[in-house]
Amino acid sequence: MSKSDPVDNNGPRRAIDIVREGLEKRYRAERRFRRNGFLAITISLFSLFVLFASMIINGYSAFWQTYIRLDIFFDAELLHQEALASADYDGLVKNALQTVFPDAQNRQERRDLFKLVSSGAAFELRKRVLDDPAIIDQRKSVWVLADDDVDMLIKGHQGRNLPESERRINNRQLQWLDFLKAENRIEKRLNWTFLSHGDSREPEMAGVWGATMGSFLTLIITLILSFPIGVAAAVYLEEFAPKNRWTDLIEININNLAAVPSIVFGLLGLAVFLNFFGLPRSAPIVGGFVLALMTLPVIIIASRSALKSVPPSIREAALGVGASKMQMVFHHVLPLALPGMLTGTIIGMARALGETAPLLMIGMVAFIVDIPKGFTDPATVLPVQIYLWADSPERAFVERTSAAVIILLAFLIIMNAAAVILRKRFERRW
Amino acid sequence: MKKLVVLSVTMAFLFIGLAAVFAGSARDTISIVGSSTVYPFATVVAERFGKGGQYKTPKIESTGSGGGFKLFCAGVGVEHPDITNASRRMKDTEFETCAKNGVTEIVEVKVGYDGIVVANAKSAPLLKLTRKALFLALAKEVPDPKGGEKVIPNPYKTWKSIDASLPDVKIEVLGPPPTSGTRDAFVELVMEEGANSYDWIKALAKSDVKKHKAITNGIREDGAYVEAGENDNLIVQKLEANKNAFGIFGFSFLDQNADKIKGSLIEGMEPTFENIASGKYPVSRPLFFYVKKAHAGVIPGIKEYVAEFTSDKTWGPDGYLSEKGLIPMPDAERKAFGEAAKNMTVLKSLK
Amino acid sequence: MPTVLLILILLGMSSAAFYLGHRRAVELSGRSSKKIALHSRPVYYGALTALWCGIPALLIFVFWLAFEGNIITRMVLSDLPARYRDLPDDRTNLLVNNIKNQVEGNIVSIKEDPDILQAAQHYRNLRSVSRTALGITVLSLAIGGILLVWRRIKPSFRARNHVETVVRCILIVCSIIAILTTIGIVLSVLYESIRFFKEVPLSDFLFGLEWSPQTAIRKDQVGSSGAFGAIPVLLGTALISAIAMVVAVPVGLMSAIYLSEYAGSRFRAAVKPLIEILAGIPTVVYGFFAALTVAPFIRNAGGYLGLDVSSESALAAGLVMGIMIIPFVSSLSDDFINAVPQSLRDGAYSLGATRSETIKQVILPAALPGIVGGVLLAVSRAIGETMIVVMAAGLAANMTVNPFKAVTTVTVQIVTLLVGDQEFDSPKTLAAFALGLLLFLVTLVLNIIALRVVQKYREQYE
Repeated sequence: MSKSDPVDNNGPRRAIDIVREGLEKRYRAERRFRRNGFLAITISLFSLFVLFASMIINGYSAFWQTYIRLDIFFDAELLHQEALASADYDGLVKNALQTVFPDAQNRQERRDLFKLVSSGAAFELRKRVLDDPAIIDQRKSVWVLADDDVDMLIKGHQGRNLPESERRINNRQLQWLDFLKAENRIEKRLNWTFLSHGDSREPEMAGVWGATMGSFLTLIITLILSFPIGVAAAVYLEEFAPKNRWTDLIEININNLAAVPSIVFGLLGLAVFLNFFGLPRSAPIVGGFVLALMTLPVIIIASRSALKSVPPSIREAALGVGASKMQMVFHHVLPLALPGMLTGTIIGMARALGETAPLLMIGMVAFIVDIPKGFTDPATVLPVQIYLWADSPERAFVERTSAAVIILLAFLIIMNAAAVILRKRFERRW
Repeated sequence: MKKLVVLSVTMAFLFIGLAAVFAGSARDTISIVGSSTVYPFATVVAERFGKGGQYKTPKIESTGSGGGFKLFCAGVGVEHPDITNASRRMKDTEFETCAKNGVTEIVEVKVGYDGIVVANAKSAPLLKLTRKALFLALAKEVPDPKGGEKVIPNPYKTWKSIDASLPDVKIEVLGPPPTSGTRDAFVELVMEEGANSYDWIKALAKSDVKKHKAITNGIREDGAYVEAGENDNLIVQKLEANKNAFGIFGFSFLDQNADKIKGSLIEGMEPTFENIASGKYPVSRPLFFYVKKAHAGVIPGIKEYVAEFTSDKTWGPDGYLSEKGLIPMPDAERKAFGEAAKNMTVLKSLK
Repeated sequence: MPTVLLILILLGMSSAAFYLGHRRAVELSGRSSKKIALHSRPVYYGALTALWCGIPALLIFVFWLAFEGNIITRMVLSDLPARYRDLPDDRTNLLVNNIKNQVEGNIVSIKEDPDILQAAQHYRNLRSVSRTALGITVLSLAIGGILLVWRRIKPSFRARNHVETVVRCILIVCSIIAILTTIGIVLSVLYESIRFFKEVPLSDFLFGLEWSPQTAIRKDQVGSSGAFGAIPVLLGTALISAIAMVVAVPVGLMSAIYLSEYAGSRFRAAVKPLIEILAGIPTVVYGFFAALTVAPFIRNAGGYLGLDVSSESALAAGLVMGIMIIPFVSSLSDDFINAVPQSLRDGAYSLGATRSETIKQVILPAALPGIVGGVLLAVSRAIGETMIVVMAAGLAANMTVNPFKAVTTVTVQIVTLLVGDQEFDSPKTLAAFALGLLLFLVTLVLNIIALRVVQKYREQYE
């Protein structure tokens, strides 16, 4: 019979007919299923892409900063020799601006004029004078930081076309800026301030260096505490501990600890380290302790599985040539398990770098400007800085938060890549 | 087993030792807590002060005026804060708590005035409110609309149901929690005044103080009033996103974000710098900070920080704080408080 | 003598001790005309000497430093002029701070006070005396340790065993620290929670329907009524976690299936790390992303469709949380799907099943316990997530299952309650600990169930 024959209703149906009838449907289902799977992957990758794109689009412009060139006359009348540090440097800036735009007369106009330049400009001038007092009574061309509203306008984030009431730069200021631009007095430069300064109230002077140092100090403490203790505990629990109910309970406990929400560790830090021990608030020491407690279970679990993956044949062989148990562990098993342990540690550190919630509880959510130098100086960490800046409504802070996110992600990608490379090069499959 | 005990004891010592080593170091950074309204001003002053190069930049946390007083009055000592900011005056109960815990020499410094605004997104309709309307919108119990001298749980769900001239929009207000001085000031200046517009409630103030307080100070908890934490910046962002919501915070936040939000009129007065300074806008309150005199010689820089805050180029009419939205005090008052701050005159009583 | 220098000297001495012990052992073994076999390798003799040199000295060192500060402070204070001695405790505290600032060379408030300067000098003197004494003690202990062991070195001396015992002790100590952490967490949270439950009964907390914890903080203030019923908060957590699971489970599972069954090895090698990146992104970044991009997008889309979407809808937070959890579900499922042996697949193919039919009817049922366990672990991760919800979800404790409204979760409340009022007496602060305990217990139970499910129902392949 050919395929196109109608089914013979009078005879018994053949299996092949039944199969053929459903075949098209089944193939369709198969194709649909495969499409769904591919769709799922696309969704995941698309979300990743959207996240990165969103951060980069919002943040890349933070790496440039607008500067305005002003001709500053270091007036000796304002700069008295005896009180150079506290002289009126704002006055110098105001005079320079007034010289370029003498038409700003009444109070409101003058205030608008002075708002074009950042308040940090005065400190920049002060630094110059203190470094080299010889420039007093001279006229110099200085590039000073522009105010963050001007910066946003020049970068195109604040639409020029919006009605005046919805803009932060009014029309007159816009005219002045156009004039300055025509005179080549406005330039965008690489934003070193962002990478070298600490937090600030003014977005144009805010930077991530303070938070980066804080993260660095905290992570050092975390590493010093969690790596040796974690590896040692894993070695003991895996190799030496007797296998009874207690050790089972301990294993369950440690596995659970790894899954406990990080905020509970913050509560622990608050109750024990701050209240009971009285350690200083907002210090990298306390942050390091809390994060170490959080990373410990991760390292223990990774180390244990690394130790477990070393085959019994290696152990038996060592014992067979007369090694003691400890020699077997330390001379034969541990070196082979070390790459796995290091990978686990790096991943644990990467997780600790990105943690925010526990550190909020121990007081790192304060306004801290100075760069921390020691382990007991008040400090904040990069993720907490992002959290703090995310609340500020100024447009310039949105840009900087995204840039800080980019920097954080860069650190994390480097650390994870290091872990993967380590794993690929040194791990042996048995 | 014995080994285990010995081990545990050794370890315990190790631990305590480690902790003690670090707990013993001295603090040389000024620690400031307190109001989220004064926070933007205090941080600017702190940053400038730190840039001066001589002292470390003070560390400032935004805990709310009430929370700040609690921390401040917990005692004298290195582990307690040195200065607390407040958007209302210290209360008697707080003064007593301070005295009880040994904080007896407190220096009060008023820094300026600030208005409280009821703001919403710029693109949303402008409301013309009265204090009575705000009371009816936000109180826990309001006078029965049918009449009579009794109160019922607040039945008003939309602005229109309170006053036909207001839009037909659900009441949704983001405001400060009880730790905030802004909340206390709002309750005192708006809720109480609005409630007292009913004569019988006003009479209660003399006859039954407790009931009066319960009516005037209670704020509704059914979801129309959301306590939005000590982060006024966040409220501004939420207003931008949610056109129907209103936010209660200090004038400085309105001033600094005038391109995104606008303030409602209260009794016909627009919340502007001039109206608040002249007193025409009815909801304005002074801002303070309080210093522990005992810490002034111990933690370096306290006197100098106070001097920086109270100098004319900071808090005066042309100072950089007024550009941030602070309304300066009249000259005579400024001078008086400046003198008191310089001499660290101790607050004798709150009368 | 500065502490760092002392530590370095100690290290140097330990190395010297090692060398000495080693040399002695080698000497002894070869001294007589015939070589006597040493019990252990020479390294162990050296190591033992070094350990006995270093460890007692180190312990005394830490011990000394821990108490040195207090003792010296007390001595300095007792030598101050009379007017300082009668100060109340807190003033003394401030005085000590002043002195210490001076000693450490920090910026000092009162530069000219002669009493403080004298006290600081006194402190410095005492400290240098103490440090010298410490140095002498430590060094003599070190030398004593060396001598003690050195004299006992003989070929029959069981050095290796002693060394191994010491190392074993160190390992046990480290394990105890790890175990103490578990206990410590539970105890601290439990302690504060018990104090909370003394003020607010457990049944009110677990079954109450109103959550308004912002009670008055002063006697004369009128705050919220202080209702601590956790149900609205738990409902909020459940809603957002449910949305996250609805996103993560299908996408994660299908990704895992596609990668393990359909994808070529090059595709797999390229895509798998990319999905793992999603797991490594810090949650604060997700929160920022949710607040910056996702929530406004959903609100605008909702407005376009005519829906009333809050700007901090549960949908936005749940969606982003789901994206974060995708790699969890994906990699756990992947492991279990790969564990199914090829023979089962081949059997199905040989009967004429299409790939999808094999997967749906053979592989998934076999891998199901593992997948369910993985999903439960992902749920516990979603419940405990903090930053995404803090930044993107709301603060109002609404009792609603509408994903377009704002709800609050357990973790947001913990953060809100504790950042601010820090006094550990009010029910408000303690409520945060009670919530933390609840969170801990729920995640614990979920993890244990996940483990049991996997263990009990796991297919035993031969």
